[in-house]
Amino acid sequence: MSFEPKIVGFLCNWCSYAGADLAGTSRKKYAPNVRVVRVMCSGRVDPTFVVKAFQSGADGVLVCG
Amino acid sequence: MASVRSHENIEMMTYSEVLGVSGYVGNFKVKIGKKPRYVNEDKCTGCGVCRDKCPIKVNNEFDVGLGIRKAIYTPFPQAVPNIPVIDKEHCTYFLKGKCRACEKFCEAKAIDFEQKERITEVDVGSIIVTTGFDSFDPTPMTAYGYGRYPNVYTGLEFERMSNASGPTNGKIVLKDGSTPKNVAILHCMGSRDKNYHEYCSRVCCMYSLKFSHIIREKIPDAYIYQMYIDMRCFGKGYEEFYNRLQEERVRFIRGRAGEVSDIAEKPDEVGKLIVLCEDTLIGRQRRIPVDMVILSTAIEPRSDVSAVAKLFSLSRTADGFFLEKHPKLDPVATNTDGVFIAGCCQGPKDIPDTVAQASAAAARVLSVISKGKVEIEATTSIVDDKLCSGCKTCIDLCPYKAITFEEAKKIAAINEALCKGCGTCAAACPAGAIVSKHFTTEQILAQVEGVLI
Repeated sequence: MSFEPKIVGFLCNWCSYAGADLAGTSRKKYAPNVRVVRVMCSGRVDPTFVVKAFQSGADGVLVCG
Repeated sequence: MASVRSHENIEMMTYSEVLGVSGYVGNFKVKIGKKPRYVNEDKCTGCGVCRDKCPIKVNNEFDVGLGIRKAIYTPFPQAVPNIPVIDKEHCTYFLKGKCRACEKFCEAKAIDFEQKERITEVDVGSIIVTTGFDSFDPTPMTAYGYGRYPNVYTGLEFERMSNASGPTNGKIVLKDGSTPKNVAILHCMGSRDKNYHEYCSRVCCMYSLKFSHIIREKIPDAYIYQMYIDMRCFGKGYEEFYNRLQEERVRFIRGRAGEVSDIAEKPDEVGKLIVLCEDTLIGRQRRIPVDMVILSTAIEPRSDVSAVAKLFSLSRTADGFFLEKHPKLDPVATNTDGVFIAGCCQGPKDIPDTVAQASAAAARVLSVISKGKVEIEATTSIVDDKLCSGCKTCIDLCPYKAITFEEAKKIAAINEALCKGCGTCAAACPAGAIVSKHFTTEQILAQVEGVLI
């Protein structure tokens, strides 16, 4: 079985989360490896969130904003 | 404009510039600088004798270089108020300290060379930004010869030429004074072009049709060509106008023109401008010799758009225009509460659309006024007084300037009307004293765990 990474994405409500939402409404597909957590701004992302994600078994963390 | 100026609830400030905006919805403080026009507005009667006596002639910006004006002038005949302004950069008195001809002849004694910029501050509840657009300058598109061939005009230049009060009194003439017999109108100059602007400017098709109609009216036997990619006659009555123009013997060639040249290959091309284009309907390259070329130039964001965006905390789309809150559901509001946008500063649009959007913006402002209350975001940040150490880290980080330092208690305080709930302060607070409502640390950590199950 090939390796499927688990990636936690912290997405800004106004741009990247809206973009992911738009991809959905435009019926575009993207890989399900990114699991999205919405924040009101990428500035909300505390370094402890990233540590917590790795601790909980994430292979990668994506902060978009 | 005149009826707006005389309205008792409207204060019109011309020749003024917004220098600074602070505050928030319902409570804006706007600093406005009124530039010196060197004419006393209370005394001036608008008789225009100063204009007649002024010896300095300058290119008239309103006629886009086709006409002249004086160093003391009113920008255009219908200008409100009808009070002239002295152009400091060209006035002999300001340059050399002599002349004062206008002052000598002014019966009302309205000329005042000592005027200074006046700065006023007004309190307003809402702001509507309607700063408009710039017309695309086709000089960089060298293939079309604008600036190189005298008889290549932009749409705006032709508009001034065809205006009865314009520089040629409405006569359509070439640079040598003769009447053109063949005119080509080239669509999409700077729009629908990946090298310049990808978007469609929306108005050019219709004004190009209008130009054809004007030319047909003024020069009945002229040959008129339009080189277009697609005709976009989208509005009420527009398609009918397009049909009417086809009946008025305007030649429509489907294909964007590639070049305007003066190199004649055949005898009938000598001394003419040759428009090279592909006619995609017959599948053939064509060379069309004409006397006059009109470039239907694009609408583009104003050159000072980034400064204005910063001033009013507006976002912009990739093409440079101001970003509305939602393209369909909230097209006049912006992400800054209390600041609305209308007209071409939001995107290219024609007059009916601009009027509709401006009316919507005015209605939105009135609804805030009549309610008397402002609804604020549910997601804001709050400071726990007991935990805040007063380190001030959050104050500099807040992008909305919503956090102030309370000197009495030595802690940070968040203004909920300004806070947009981004939570940057909550992430940065070393004491963990700031809670971002609905996005608390516990909630986000629980979500992280949840998505990884």
